[in-house]
Amino acid sequence: MARLIKTEAVVEGRTEVRWTLVEEDSTPEWPADQPPGVVGEPTTRLTAGARLSGSARYTSDMQLPRQLEATVLRSPHANARLTSISLDAARAVPGVRAVIGPGDCPQFDGEAVLHDEPPYGGAAVAAIAAETREAADEAMAALDPQWEPLGFVVDLDQSLENQTFQDDPVEYERGDAETALAAAELTITSDYLAPAQLHNSMEPHCAVADWRPDGLTLWSSTQGIYQARSQLCGSFGLDQEHVRVICHFMGGGFGSKFGCGPEGVIAAELSRRAGRPVRLVLSRRDENLSTGYRTPARFSFTIGAGCDGRLQAVEASAVMGLGTGGWAYPVLEPVKSVYACEHQHLMTLPMRLNLGPAAAFRAPGVMEGTWAFEQALDELAEAAGLDPLELRRRNHTDVDPSTGRPYTSKRLLESYDLAAELAGWDARDELRSDGRVRRGMGCASQYWWGGGGPPAYADVRIGSDAKPVLTVGMQDLGTGVTTACAVVLAERLGIRPDQVTVRTGDTDLAGHGPFSGGSMTLASVAPAVRSAGHHVRTQLLELAADMFEIAASDLELTEGEVRSTDGTLRRPIHDVTEKLGNAWVTGSGSRAPNPDGMAVNTFGCQIAQVAVDTLTGLITVERVVAVHDIGRVVNPMGARSQVLGGILQGIGFALSEERVVDPTTGTVVNAGLEDYKIPTLADLPEVECRFVGEPDPELALGIKGLGEPPIIPTPGAIGNAVAHALGLRLREAPYTPRRVLEALQ
Amino acid sequence: MRYDATLKVNGRAYPVAIEPGRNLLSVLRSEVGLTGAKEGCDDSECGACMVLLDGQPVNSCSYLALQADGREIVTIEGLAGEDGDLHPLQQAFLDQGGVQCGFCTPGMLISAKALLDRNPSPDEDEIRLALSGNLCRCTGYSGIVRAVQAVAEQR
Ligand code: FES
Ligand code: FES
Repeated sequence: MARLIKTEAVVEGRTEVRWTLVEEDSTPEWPADQPPGVVGEPTTRLTAGARLSGSARYTSDMQLPRQLEATVLRSPHANARLTSISLDAARAVPGVRAVIGPGDCPQFDGEAVLHDEPPYGGAAVAAIAAETREAADEAMAALDPQWEPLGFVVDLDQSLENQTFQDDPVEYERGDAETALAAAELTITSDYLAPAQLHNSMEPHCAVADWRPDGLTLWSSTQGIYQARSQLCGSFGLDQEHVRVICHFMGGGFGSKFGCGPEGVIAAELSRRAGRPVRLVLSRRDENLSTGYRTPARFSFTIGAGCDGRLQAVEASAVMGLGTGGWAYPVLEPVKSVYACEHQHLMTLPMRLNLGPAAAFRAPGVMEGTWAFEQALDELAEAAGLDPLELRRRNHTDVDPSTGRPYTSKRLLESYDLAAELAGWDARDELRSDGRVRRGMGCASQYWWGGGGPPAYADVRIGSDAKPVLTVGMQDLGTGVTTACAVVLAERLGIRPDQVTVRTGDTDLAGHGPFSGGSMTLASVAPAVRSAGHHVRTQLLELAADMFEIAASDLELTEGEVRSTDGTLRRPIHDVTEKLGNAWVTGSGSRAPNPDGMAVNTFGCQIAQVAVDTLTGLITVERVVAVHDIGRVVNPMGARSQVLGGILQGIGFALSEERVVDPTTGTVVNAGLEDYKIPTLADLPEVECRFVGEPDPELALGIKGLGEPPIIPTPGAIGNAVAHALGLRLREAPYTPRRVLEALQ
Repeated sequence: MRYDATLKVNGRAYPVAIEPGRNLLSVLRSEVGLTGAKEGCDDSECGACMVLLDGQPVNSCSYLALQADGREIVTIEGLAGEDGDLHPLQQAFLDQGGVQCGFCTPGMLISAKALLDRNPSPDEDEIRLALSGNLCRCTGYSGIVRAVQAVAEQR
């Protein structure tokens, strides 16, 4: 029977209360003494064949009959008023089928999509759909926009002076930080400046819209097909039945692709006007100007502690540059939640700047906050004369320090121990030298959410061929969650994961499901998948019981066979399913909520070893040891790949990635991949990756998420390693050769 | 003004009529209809569009289509065998976890094939150097290196 229940879920630091529909679930847990078959075995990616052979169709590959190409005019100014534009001249260009300007396009999530006062360089102003890209480009030139440049602010300090906030400032207090700081035996103060990091998913934001009299279909490179559907319904006043959103393959998102995006609304409006399908793919440059970034932030800490290194009080502030959108990402969460510390006063100031809207980027807020605070902690360790890992151990907490709630599981201390052993932490001072190349080693803790929760739904059907089809309400942004779902289902049905066909990424296929973000997807959908699989399993066993005249309770499904527990019967599952003819056995499952009153978090520790060339200023990350507690690992192969990818993005943040804004024009000068440096293969360090989590005893299937955790501690560990190597600390990332050489002078 | 040309892609001839300014990537993706090669930047920065031209890897986004007239082009779709069996490199990418979202993968594979064709047993540094023009934002590269090494060892 279905019930509506009220649940709490933490989504990237924001607690959301939602009503969700759940089914009663009688799926048994895995017995502790029995390994759950294929779950936990390395499994190669199910959809990789299509990705490897070039046959996978990404949104940007869609080619519908009579499809038009769209392009968007963007403002070249940091802030401007559009004084004139020749839409009709563009319409007159041969091959042009639709042209829209400010006022012609519905809003996206309540915000203008095409601006007559574009508030940042790269803001969309007009859009064109034409038979070919070339015709669209020609029409673009005919638009002849005239601008009146306006004043702009791209500097954090200036916007602080003007008190222009993009989101409400967030103040957090516990205890009495001021008094405790005054009484502390040790105090340190320190500042850090984090850069804006650009997502640069390899597939840019894109959409293909097909508006027909009977409804709108949108192919979208999106992390949230259901969110995209709601946004389109809102923009165009359509009901859900008339909007279908499809995302079969997508080329990464990392937080920048929630919903349909303004590009989805523009493509749909152009398609509506032209009566033809329209494809809009952003250029790399437009991508980097308008689709989001990790917010730059200036951190200030005053930390008070006892001589034993135990934290007593922290006063901290973070000034974030949000641009023209985004929210106050939890940049001070690492201060608030990772260690025991009674007295805190934290201020987060999300400033508005004339830059594109910020967006969530893999562990938004928490990664850059960890980078800064974990370094301040190393400064404290130095002041206290303590080993940095020992300082962290001393400040360990067994309950969430901000709520007092116990954790469902926490293996942070084990992570420290294992990471230290694997990295050779105790001998780290032997790395140091006075030569040209100086080596050092540093650590950082990892904290994130990732418990998942409802809503999540799955359906399974199996027909005569004994090859189940699993339909899940979600999309796979490239993380491998599809494969993990197949693994979970395969366990219930006693088959191999590669025998499962998984259908995802289509709002018409499945009712509803989570977006891919917050490290929530697998922890949310896997229990629903298992429960659906269990229903099918139960029915198959009953069919087999009828066929073989053995009680269903004496039968099991293993290795593609129906077997009796006494070993007398072994028959392929196919022998049972073939009797189905064209009928199916079906089962549905949903996700129940996590336990109330407990904190669900992932933890970990990374240790980085670096070499700094003091002549060239070049830093090389030589080795990273990554130990994470993510509960049960469903597919170690997929998990390892996530960790590696996160670490490399963390290395990018620490060493090379930085959006540069020209203060005189207010525009971004490095929006291309030639000047904006993401790590290449040459930057790959040796990585040792381990998981310490046992299945979380309080969570469905014991699974916690892994999308964000691996990126969180990497930059902080690198910062601490560089300080260990050089004996001085760089306060601004990325640690480019220029900054290294300046610091050494 | 359009010009006639014949693009020989994966062993098949495709007659096309194209403007001189068109790049090879856009013609492969639109006129020829092979969308395996991806556009990640349109500016020779990412390698997602890489194809082999007479055996040499080129960023097809920055190569004029007419210059490829009559020359042998191999795209990712041409890597697998006639029977659809994965090329050893494709299999190794799968086995070693060298794929996540897969958007960089076609270019990576072409780059790796070009490397092994000219140097059947590269060492790790040579692999890193040869593939460093192909950007991947997901995998952290290590599965890709292991995949190329695995194939090199088989040879
Ligand atoms: S699309 Fe050609 S190099 Fe990026
Ligand atoms: S697998 Fe996503 S860019 Fe390489």
